[in-house]
Parts: sequence; C-alpha cells; structure tokens
Amino acid sequence: MLSLVPQLICATLEKVLHKVVAMDPASPALLQKIQGKQLALQLQELPWRFVLSATTESLLLNQHNEKVDCVISTDLATLQQLNDPGQLTRLIKQDKLQIDGDLQVAQQFSSLLQQLDPDWQQHLSAWLGDALAHKVALAIKQLQLYIQTQLKQLEHAAVELAQDELALSPTQAEMNQFSRDVSQLQARLDQLSRHNAFRQE
Amino acid sequence: MTDQQPDSTHFGFKTVKQTEKVSLVANVFHSVAAKYDLMNDVMSMGIHRLWKRFTIDCSGVRPGHQVLDLAGGTGDITALFSKRVGPTGKVILADINESMLNVGRDKLRDSGLVNNIDYVQANAEALPFADNSFDIISIGFGLRNVTDKDAALRSMYRVLKPGGRLLVLEFSKPEYEWLSKVYDLYSFKLLPAIGGLVANDKESYQYLAESIRMHPDQDTLKQMMETAGFEHVSFHNLTGGIVALHKGYKF
Repeated sequence: MLSLVPQLICATLEKVLHKVVAMDPASPALLQKIQGKQLALQLQELPWRFVLSATTESLLLNQHNEKVDCVISTDLATLQQLNDPGQLTRLIKQDKLQIDGDLQVAQQFSSLLQQLDPDWQQHLSAWLGDALAHKVALAIKQLQLYIQTQLKQLEHAAVELAQDELALSPTQAEMNQFSRDVSQLQARLDQLSRHNAFRQE
Repeated sequence: MTDQQPDSTHFGFKTVKQTEKVSLVANVFHSVAAKYDLMNDVMSMGIHRLWKRFTIDCSGVRPGHQVLDLAGGTGDITALFSKRVGPTGKVILADINESMLNVGRDKLRDSGLVNNIDYVQANAEALPFADNSFDIISIGFGLRNVTDKDAALRSMYRVLKPGGRLLVLEFSKPEYEWLSKVYDLYSFKLLPAIGGLVANDKESYQYLAESIRMHPDQDTLKQMMETAGFEHVSFHNLTGGIVALHKGYKF
C-alpha cells in the first residue's frame, strides 16, 4: 500500500499546480520557454525523487529515476533558503545543494515557480462579487501579517525566557566571553606543548 | 492450463472454444463501456488511478516518444501519456472493442486532449503497425482478456523499437494468504453485487472476478514475456499483489 504514496502525492500536487498555473495570467509565456524540459528534485528527507515536467499548459509531476535535464539534490531547510537567489552560490559551496545537468533549466523552473502569482481575487470575485472578494483578500493579507508578527514575538519571548528567566542558555555577551576564554586557553596549551617538545629534544 | 483442448480457452471459469472468446469478451465490454469509469472508481476505491500513475512513472516517457496504449479502454493511461509526450510525440489508443474506444475518444476530446492522440481498433494478437514503431507499449488490464496471450506478447515485441519497453499492468496473485481470502470474498460476493447495483450488469462483473483468477500469476507472466523475447523482465507488486506491473525491454 505504502508503495503508492509518491503517486498519491504527485497526483494531488499536480492538480493543485494545474489550478494555480491556470489562474496566473503570466504563466503561458513562461511555460512556453521551458516546455518539454524536466527537472528532478531529490530531498534528503524523502526516499523518492520527484520530477517536474513542463508542458505548454501546466506542470506535471512524476516519481522516477530516469534521465532528466537537471537534478537538484538538497534538504528541506536549504530548499526554503532558495527563495533568495543571492544564497545560491553560498549553498552550493557549502555542499548543501548539488545541481547536476543543465543549470539554465533549474533557473527557468525556479523563476517560473517564484513568479507564479495567481490572481486569487479575480477568481474569487466571480463567486463573491468584487467588494467581498477584496475584503476577503485584505483579511487574508492581514492574517498573514498578524501570524508573522506573532511568530516573531513568540521567538523573542522564548529566547528571553531561556536566557534571562530560566538561565538555560547563555546570552550573546556570555557566549563571546566564553569563546575568548577558550581561544586563550587553546593558545596557552599550544605554547606549553611547543615548550615541552623543545625541552624533550 | 495444460489440461485444455487445443482449440479451447478460458472465459472466466468456463471453458469455451477459442473462436468464441473474442465475441464473448466483446459482449462484456459493450455492456460495461458506459459505466466503466464509474465502476473502476467504485471497485478499486479510486486506487486504479494510482496504479496507472505508477505505470507512467515506470515507463521512462519523454517528450517526442511514440506510445501505444493497448486495450486502452476509456483512455486513462493515454491521457497521462499524451500530456507527457508533448506536441512532438504521439500516443495511439488501441482497443479491440468499438464501444470502449468510442467512450475513450469522447472522454479525451472533452478534456481537451486532441493534438497527439490517434485511435485504432486493433486486436493485440495481430497489431496493424510496422516493426519497431514504438518507444513504449502499455497494456492496462487488457492482457487478461486476450485469447492467445503468447501471440499478443510476440506481436507487441515486433512493433516495439529496440530499447523500448513494454509495461503490463494487470490483476495478479495477492502476496499474502489473508489478503487472498479477503480479496476472494470481496470479488465473488461484493463485486458482482455492486456491479448489479451500479451498472445493472451482474454477469459481466462475475466474469471480471473469474477472469482475474484464471490469469497467470506474477512469475508465469514474467516467464511468458521472456519467452516472447523481452529482456530484463521484472515486476512490481502493487497493493499487496492484487495488481502487478510487469516491465520488459526489447534490445
């Protein structure tokens, strides 16, 4: 039963992608450029390699290990950092990201996925009317903002709690002091062992 | 299978003349064509879609490929292939049954897939195509109904290009004893009842359950494919062996 999980994931994601791509007015031009190209994504957390194929109308998803135009191997955490294109070289250098094959294909797929901007409001307005659709979109944006601020505040509070209230983890200054002490100790140890070696000779 | 008369074959659990099987099977599918998709979803609880997707994943299909979907029925596998071979490739949906072919054609046209699909009414035992024509041949839940399976496999081998693959998706033998029992109960008691209720055709679904039991098991089919000339033949059991996907290459 478990053997069909990747197919279930592919089928579901493909449906979602198809809807999202169809809602984006700019997508046909982008798809035209990469139609027929295949990009594989191998995540360390998952045992399966997923393959994205571009057609003129949509993106298709499959799971296989056949030959493709470009393969990206990475982990989930790194994948999130890829939103920022400036990080790309650093991640490759740190060996967190491997790209085999046609780099241009990887870039084209990533720019397509990043530029996907489905016009939710327009489609929603067909159901709810313009005014209500605008209100809903505004409410969703405000909710996103609210969640982001709350998450940041929570993180801040957690750090304060751990460092100041419960004294579980050191503050930045304590950490720096400790590092300096360790470096000094290391230097003294080096000195001593050199001295020792000299005396033994 | 060995105790048969030379000119007889199976039709479910019945033994019939070889010449009769084609028309008997044809009657079954003329009768179920209209409700075929609905029944597939009801009977397999939708899992048949994942079996078919698995077949595509094992096919190595690429843009530009020539694909033959044999016994393609109502075109599920053809639809998946058609999107993946793109405008430069071609998929041929072949079925021996005209009713099924018509239902498939209407369904694919309704979903906007028209550019790269051809429809051919053909018998798998004597395929009307030139040698070395296809990169991929798939036969999904069809080989079971073919009268002379060895001849069909040889015919597929002939029209496949060197380096091409054959994918046989078919009901098979469950891997576990308990599953086998549950499955028997399901397919002989429940299935004909559902068939009677949904499609108003109990006998056809009785035949379906019986024909699955008479179909060669995983190892026998693998052997048959090797005898027909295929190499590197392997199979994957899906859903505990209720269905198996056999894969073979022509070199």
